[in-house]
Amino acid sequence: MQSSTKITEPKNQWTARLLEFWRVFNKNRMGVIGLGMIGTLVIIAIFAPLIAPYDSSSTESAQIGDIYNPPSAAHLLGTDDAGQDILSNFIFGTRVSLIVGTFAAFISIIIGGTLGLIAGFNGGRTDNLIMRFTDIMLVIPDLPLIVVLVALTKPSLLNIIIVVGLLGWTTTARVVRSQTLAVKSRKFVLRARGIGAGNRHIISHHILPLVMPILVVQAVLVVSNAVLTESTLAFLGLGDPSALSWGQMLNYAFGRGAMSIGAWWALAVPGIGIVWVVLGLTLLGQGLEQVLNPRLETHHLTPGRPVVQNERDEFGSGKSADEKSGNILLDVQNLSVNYVADGRPPARAVENVSFTLKEGELMGLVGESGCGKTTLMLSLLRLLPSAGQIVNGKVFFKEKDLTALNEEELNIVRWSGISIIFQGAMNALNPVRTVGDQISEAIIRHLPDFPRDKRLDERVIELLDLVGIASDQKENFPHQYSGGMRQRAMIAMALACNPQVVIADEPTTALDVMIQAQILELLDDLRKKLGLAIIFVTHDLGVVAEICDKVLVMYGGVTAEYADVDTVYNEPRHPYTQELIKAFPDLTKPKKKLTSIPGYPPRLDALPAGCRFAPRCPAVFDRCHIEQPPLHKLGDMHFASCHLVEGSK
Amino acid sequence: MGVELFPRPHNLKSFTTSRSALNRTRILLRKIAWALFTILFVIVLNFFIFRVLPGDPARAGIRDPRLKAEAIEMLRVRFGLDKPVINCFESLNPVKLGSCNVNPLDTQFFIYVRNLLQGELGISYHTNRPVAEVLGERLWNTILLIGAGQILSIFIGVVFGVFAAWKARTSIDRAAVISSLVAWSLPTFWLGIILLFWGSKFGLPLAGKATPGASTYPLLQQWGDIARHMFLPTLTYTIIFMAEYTLIMRSSLMDVLSEDYILTAKAKGLSTFQILKDHALKNAMLPLVTVIAINLGFTVGGAVQIESVFSWPGLGLAIFEAVARRDFPILQGAFLLLAISVIFANLLADLTYTYLDPRVQTE
Amino acid sequence: MSDSNTLVEVKNLKKHFPVTRGIILQRKVGVVRAVDGISFSIQRGETLGMVGESGCGKTTAGRTMLGLYPATDGSVIIDGDDILHARGKDQLKIRRKAQIIFQDPYASLNPRWTVNSIVSEPMRVHKLFATEKERSERAKDLLGMVGLSPHLLNRFPHEFSGGQRQRIGIARALASDPLFIVCDEPISALDVSIQAQVVNLLEKLQDQLSLTYLFVAHDLSMVRHICDRVAVMYLGVIVEIAEQNELYENPLHPYTQALLSAVPVPDPRKERARKRTILVGDVPSPINPPSGCRFHPRCPVAIEKCKDIVPEWREVSPQHWVACHLVN
Repeated sequence: MQSSTKITEPKNQWTARLLEFWRVFNKNRMGVIGLGMIGTLVIIAIFAPLIAPYDSSSTESAQIGDIYNPPSAAHLLGTDDAGQDILSNFIFGTRVSLIVGTFAAFISIIIGGTLGLIAGFNGGRTDNLIMRFTDIMLVIPDLPLIVVLVALTKPSLLNIIIVVGLLGWTTTARVVRSQTLAVKSRKFVLRARGIGAGNRHIISHHILPLVMPILVVQAVLVVSNAVLTESTLAFLGLGDPSALSWGQMLNYAFGRGAMSIGAWWALAVPGIGIVWVVLGLTLLGQGLEQVLNPRLETHHLTPGRPVVQNERDEFGSGKSADEKSGNILLDVQNLSVNYVADGRPPARAVENVSFTLKEGELMGLVGESGCGKTTLMLSLLRLLPSAGQIVNGKVFFKEKDLTALNEEELNIVRWSGISIIFQGAMNALNPVRTVGDQISEAIIRHLPDFPRDKRLDERVIELLDLVGIASDQKENFPHQYSGGMRQRAMIAMALACNPQVVIADEPTTALDVMIQAQILELLDDLRKKLGLAIIFVTHDLGVVAEICDKVLVMYGGVTAEYADVDTVYNEPRHPYTQELIKAFPDLTKPKKKLTSIPGYPPRLDALPAGCRFAPRCPAVFDRCHIEQPPLHKLGDMHFASCHLVEGSK
Repeated sequence: MGVELFPRPHNLKSFTTSRSALNRTRILLRKIAWALFTILFVIVLNFFIFRVLPGDPARAGIRDPRLKAEAIEMLRVRFGLDKPVINCFESLNPVKLGSCNVNPLDTQFFIYVRNLLQGELGISYHTNRPVAEVLGERLWNTILLIGAGQILSIFIGVVFGVFAAWKARTSIDRAAVISSLVAWSLPTFWLGIILLFWGSKFGLPLAGKATPGASTYPLLQQWGDIARHMFLPTLTYTIIFMAEYTLIMRSSLMDVLSEDYILTAKAKGLSTFQILKDHALKNAMLPLVTVIAINLGFTVGGAVQIESVFSWPGLGLAIFEAVARRDFPILQGAFLLLAISVIFANLLADLTYTYLDPRVQTE
Repeated sequence: MSDSNTLVEVKNLKKHFPVTRGIILQRKVGVVRAVDGISFSIQRGETLGMVGESGCGKTTAGRTMLGLYPATDGSVIIDGDDILHARGKDQLKIRRKAQIIFQDPYASLNPRWTVNSIVSEPMRVHKLFATEKERSERAKDLLGMVGLSPHLLNRFPHEFSGGQRQRIGIARALASDPLFIVCDEPISALDVSIQAQVVNLLEKLQDQLSLTYLFVAHDLSMVRHICDRVAVMYLGVIVEIAEQNELYENPLHPYTQALLSAVPVPDPRKERARKRTILVGDVPSPINPPSGCRFHPRCPVAIEKCKDIVPEWREVSPQHWVACHLVN
């Protein structure tokens, strides 16, 4: 995210932080409702004497006939087994519940937070001992233990607070420990140590500020647990008789015949109070958790958006002139993809991109982060996240328009026609299934006639052998493979159903140069052997020069230049391509001065008018800011979208 | 979370792969050893709580004012309360070393452990029957109740959770989440009371495990009778715990469905159903197993409440009654039995997790 | 190499990480020999590059040199002071002179701190400048030096792009007026056009402030561009070190040769004409490094001797050191 050009200094960083927090918190309805629920109770507790119609434990109307009276004008919620007003008792009961909950939670948080911090920060033996102890305390059933402890000491409010507090710290300790460990190994802490900062500085300035929010969320949950526990204890007869909590009210009602008399009000009201507190705190906790660790509410199986055609075809198609010769497998025409956002204009991630791919051809797709290359690749097989939508264009695979297929038909083309090798195979393979299993799954899916016996295993071994993985690795899990091996396994899997096109999305970016060389050689080899067409997405210009036949350079979602590889390196016409090449270090030209491109790539939801590269272009002139340049044809296989090349060939 | 503290070369793991089977046995043994250690800890804890907290155990345990002084003294001897608590410590007052000539075998602690190993849990203050006998009858009733409740709540929770995650953000999902949150906030005993109140209107039994005299019924009818009595308590249990499992399953599955390998599966052309079945569910179940294990302690607390409300003759009710009557041997015995059961169940869950997750086996 | 011109002297630096097992009590069952005895020196104003594949120990070496990890053995002398064995106030003084810039601009800044706090942290720790106001002024100067507007002082890291965050990291490294900076893969996570920006900035600052750099990286093309001398590490030891031109034009160690031949060059004609040596397999585990020359299992020209005898570290031509039996 870039900082805006208008710079206003926030007066106080704390006010700024508070406002930011409130803005995010407000979005979560559950959290706000929870806050309201608790707020109401706190107000009731504070103003109890003013609100309650009768004094606490008042026996003003305690005559025999007033026991278990149903709700009436005098007693809005009826009377209990002693003739007291249930509404008043309920209101004063708020105080008891909140006090017990808060103080017990306070004790638990202090203990849990301290233990977690010590364990996480010191590590080693201390950590081990504390965690083992915590594990034991977690396993021991808490309610029976609490019951035992309270039963053996005098049941007073103080004792209850102490006992509940002393046993409620386990989850907090674990959570604080995890967070402390995580923060402790972050680079900025490492760095602080490097400049000589002591433990005190690191704990107070780095660890505590990042642990506090977690502790706050925990506190909310611990309070709700404490309230529940106190009510349960009171109900079981271990409450403080002098403090009429809701649990105590239920204990009296249940034990003194409210059921047989049918006095539902005596049973319902205190219970609803407890539910109100616990639910309110839970919702509040969820809301806070959402601010801390925002969860995505969508996933890969969320249904995608329908393809639409907006007929924005003003920029001319990028079909190459040699479409008649050779075997065109993939023909992408004017593809445009948007990311939809609530209440904001959509991000135009890809706009009017066209290219073709022939049998045995290797096309490099080059661009920097945010240029739309991954979006473009995912859209070919309609694997976009739920916010993504194809808003224009067609994708012809062997003459069939993929954009017009439904999900079932598309599932047939996926993998058997076009397959993908994803970036960072770290997580692209399922960690709890063997590699061999995942490969055979693809075969079974697309080649239903393939025999399911030993020959299937042989085929899997054959595929692994193709990429240089030993056959005994078939039964191993992904985490037992090294990074390079995992990527090669992904390649083997991508070839399992004999596809015609393979999309390789930055397959070597995270790998060492030697492994990268191995994989590049492998891909080139396979291309020649099997006649595969490959799209190789990368930002490494060296890799592109090594294996690609032609190159598509993208910037800000549009095609900057599209030409064969020699042309792109020797006669680039688009200023972005030229600058990119100048900014890329060449191993064989150490004296070359690296020019950098000033500024940053554009945000796709705040695109400049006119040419997207204009703000950073060294050759910019007036027209560039107003009119977006169309894709000009400069030769048989050379296109560039720049006003400067207009009319030339 | 889980940032590596030092760089590990990729081959580190394959270095230990060849010992996978040996590793599994080793892990198994380690976990069993740990469970035994925990049980030992609980035994010690149990002993000390009951000896230390009430002050003079005799006075605390035998509060019947009708007993004369000699009778109290006799009871003290009978329960071994006149012996030193543990080697050199008389009611936890440290005696100077050197003057310690107590026979360690003659201490209360040792007697307690020895009795325990023989299955002897003491004598109930209230009924004078052996604790082991009283609780033995009740243990199975609790297991029956918790067992049925857990199975149902896990099953329903998983189904609801999967549906909610699959249809994330739709009205089905919202309904599932809201109802789960509300159900989770209900105090277990209160839900029991409310269900009991309603149930009584429909003629369902109000208390106990069986109608008096049911032991004379034919077997099938006996079971039917027990089932009728079990219905409301099990329903209470299921509603409370199903809520939590639904929420956990939902968030766990949503996390899994956001992982890269799900996108790979989709790119492979697998249908949504296939992806859920073959890729997502197993991974999503793993955190649930962990939660079930951690929860076992809490489920026992729920059992205590439910049994108290419905007078279900299990260990929970035993605790409830023992509290009311200050019958400490029963209390102590019930607590110990519950704790050991939970530790054992926890071990089972832990071993199940180890079996399911291949990443754990190669450390 | 005259002594007064040597800023950094590293002798036999070792860093081993223990591998432990056990439930209640943990015992050591092995060691990861991440850095297993490296020695080199860096002159004032020089940029030394350190390259190698992942797991070779270059990152660990850079961090251990500054005391971020406690060293297992060896010494590191910076400007005449032993940084690893100093204690208390002396240690604080020495640490002022040496700083580090990390790779990941997203993770190396505390998300809850403002840019001001981040950049002035070294000043606070070393107690430079008495008042908050003075520190903020200096922070503004530093931001200007790295090309960021001083108005951005009170913003939070998440409001900046990757390249800008890296600049903040650089500003922070300059805050205590250091002599020596370890650059731990500072550009690997950035886009190509931004990489050039940051590299040019580092070069400019080096001229302006007479800085000395240790540049740890795996991008061999970029390393050639920015460094004066380059050291090649493999499995915890240095196998070759030479001046940049000499190393790239005339690599002597088989590993260096293989490494350089694997680097793609952004020129299609040259690429097609190249001959490459591609090694088989992956880097072995540093828990049990191979005997003799560590590279012998993968070396295309290994002889019998390489399996048993550790090759001698020799200067075969001026400033060009290699450890290989086949180089005489």
